[in-house]
Amino acid sequence: MKEGELGRTYASGEIIFSEGEKGEVMYVIQAGKVNIMKNTPSGELTLATLDSGDIFGEMALFDKMPRSATAKALGNARILSIDKKKLFSTISHDPTLVFKMLETMSKRIRLLNEELSKLKKTKSALVNLCCDVDEVCSMILEEARKTVQADNGSVMLVNDDSALAITAAFGKKSEQRVLMKSGHGIAGDVLRTGRAEMVNNVSMDARFVQGKVQIRSMLCVPLKCNNNILGVINMSNTSERMFGMDDLKAISNIAMYAAIAVQNAVNLANLKNAAEEVLKHAAIVG
Amino acid sequence: MSNSHDPYVLDSGARIAVIGGGPTGSFFSIFALKMARMLGKDLEITIFEPKDFAKDGPGGCNRCGGIISELLVQTLAIEGINLPDSVVRKGINSYRLHTEHGSAFIATPALEKTIATVYRGGGPKGIMGDNLESFDRFLLSQAVEGGAVHQPVRVDSIEWKDGKPVLFSKKSEMMQADLVIGAFGVNSTAGKLFHELGFGYHEPSTVTAAIAEISMGEEKVAEYFGNSINLFLLPDKGIKFAAMIPKGSYVTLCILGSKLDGEVVRNFLSRPMVKAVLPGEGTYSVPCSCLPKMNIGAPKVPFTDRIAMGGDAGSTRLFKDGLGAAYLMGKAMAKTAVFEGAGKEHFQRGYYPVYKSIIHDNLFGSVLYFVIDQYRSFDVLTRAMLRTVELEQGRSHDTTKILSSILWDMFTGNERYKNVFMKSMKPKMHINMWEGLFKSLFRGGSP
Repeated sequence: MKEGELGRTYASGEIIFSEGEKGEVMYVIQAGKVNIMKNTPSGELTLATLDSGDIFGEMALFDKMPRSATAKALGNARILSIDKKKLFSTISHDPTLVFKMLETMSKRIRLLNEELSKLKKTKSALVNLCCDVDEVCSMILEEARKTVQADNGSVMLVNDDSALAITAAFGKKSEQRVLMKSGHGIAGDVLRTGRAEMVNNVSMDARFVQGKVQIRSMLCVPLKCNNNILGVINMSNTSERMFGMDDLKAISNIAMYAAIAVQNAVNLANLKNAAEEVLKHAAIVG
Repeated sequence: MSNSHDPYVLDSGARIAVIGGGPTGSFFSIFALKMARMLGKDLEITIFEPKDFAKDGPGGCNRCGGIISELLVQTLAIEGINLPDSVVRKGINSYRLHTEHGSAFIATPALEKTIATVYRGGGPKGIMGDNLESFDRFLLSQAVEGGAVHQPVRVDSIEWKDGKPVLFSKKSEMMQADLVIGAFGVNSTAGKLFHELGFGYHEPSTVTAAIAEISMGEEKVAEYFGNSINLFLLPDKGIKFAAMIPKGSYVTLCILGSKLDGEVVRNFLSRPMVKAVLPGEGTYSVPCSCLPKMNIGAPKVPFTDRIAMGGDAGSTRLFKDGLGAAYLMGKAMAKTAVFEGAGKEHFQRGYYPVYKSIIHDNLFGSVLYFVIDQYRSFDVLTRAMLRTVELEQGRSHDTTKILSSILWDMFTGNERYKNVFMKSMKPKMHINMWEGLFKSLFRGGSP
């Protein structure tokens, strides 16, 4: 990015503002991209990826609440800041200035409504209906398959030996016996870091462990609940189809509720086992 | 309140002629088309502009310093008009203020580049490349993208027919319009057309400015100017102030004052304090200079039924931010035309308050420039001003930096003059000035 243009350049990954901060300024992207992220019990979730010309950070100016999310540069990004005092003073002279902002906010509300309705379906399917761990994992995978187009997919859960084992899968013959330790392979690395990954050319990724199925691209998202990683959702392509940021975002959204459902199912299974043990002891004593 | 029986209400199919494709004409067209679309109206807007803003050299030049203020850059960004890199010649984050007694540096917080320098036309001969564009051409293309039609012809007469203005070029009828917007510059001859219509419009009163392009190459501009505009407050009676504005491989010199002549640029560049800012003689040249007129007095009657004048043809901000005034007036005329109508009463109600507010604000500007004249004319005041700015810039805990912010707002056109004036009335400003005065006297020499 050449020097001398408008705004300030943020380096890739640099935080523009953090969730919870007081908002005094709104921003307009002049060049590059910005990720809007939120901390959730399941980890950091990317809410949106904004592009050149997009505005952000305006909500905190209008509702006077702390920043609702964190904004981080995705690659180098050049951003123009607009001071709250100056903005409101200008709007007071020319209220039509908010037309463009209303247009932007309306588009965002429309998108949020769409995502919310998708999430509600996923949430009710996953959180309310299932109590068996295997059944929950199958349902998670079914939801993921409906949301993102992929040739193969699997849900891997952490077993008693702290390794990832496939609990549910679809696509080309999966190697059901595959176990992945933390840090081993891309899934093992996601288990270690807790960060979702999109790899569109796995052969170039040193972490990738080649199995029998010739994978070209993959998404791997952690199932994280209260900072505890229960497993991962994998989606992969053997064809030349590549994944996009929207796919990663969609699977991350599903993973948020899926992790709660898995945790509930695991808790219920543990409770059932404990109850059975108690009953067994009671029978012996009796 | 407009209603369907009002003959001046512009409905779908209404024809609007804009005379002048500079910023006021383009802003009017962009906003009128956007607002009309919101209401489901389909307006037909034709912009008459014979000048080719893509052409470098005098043929495409619009004779202007080419600074887009922080406020306008930000406002346009909110409007969704982001200035592309091909238009911005330099992002500015600071000013260097030079006086006979020293210099001061005033910067934006975090050195964010919030001011843009641009060429209004193609710039000096030979600099237009494939990836460079003039500001006026960019705005005109935005208007055309929005649905306006650009006619590269000069309108040379306007007549009334059945209560509507008819435009002619070389004796051929171009169009009959429901509304004509006069958006030409003070250096154009179009003012005469409207004067001759007899509704009371007189061309604005003007002063002469001097503008020159200094060629020194991109590296030298970066080395000597960086991202700063250099501003000169000299004790000379004839020169109010001068600015050197970096733009790629050139620096635009703008001199404002009274009775400026063809020698003013050469004389200015030969002053020791100016030489100190420039690279050595022989490493730069002045390929072009001109003495354009500047609007300093707005016409009293800027509109009538089906005609409205704006930008330099109307009222503009005194000595500063003409592009900001073009935005304000272009948009105010568009709002009035679309939401109210094209009648005199509509413009009186919707447009005139904005037009008048600029004239009113310029009164505060005149007072402020008078005060600055005193500061630049008297050694002791010049020193006190520099010392105060120096003290403010050195205080990291002082977030107000009141005199620095007054000077910044004055010379960047970032604030309305009224707001700057009110800021200058704050007791803290006077306490700081007295402190600066005392310290400069105590030190004696340069600040």
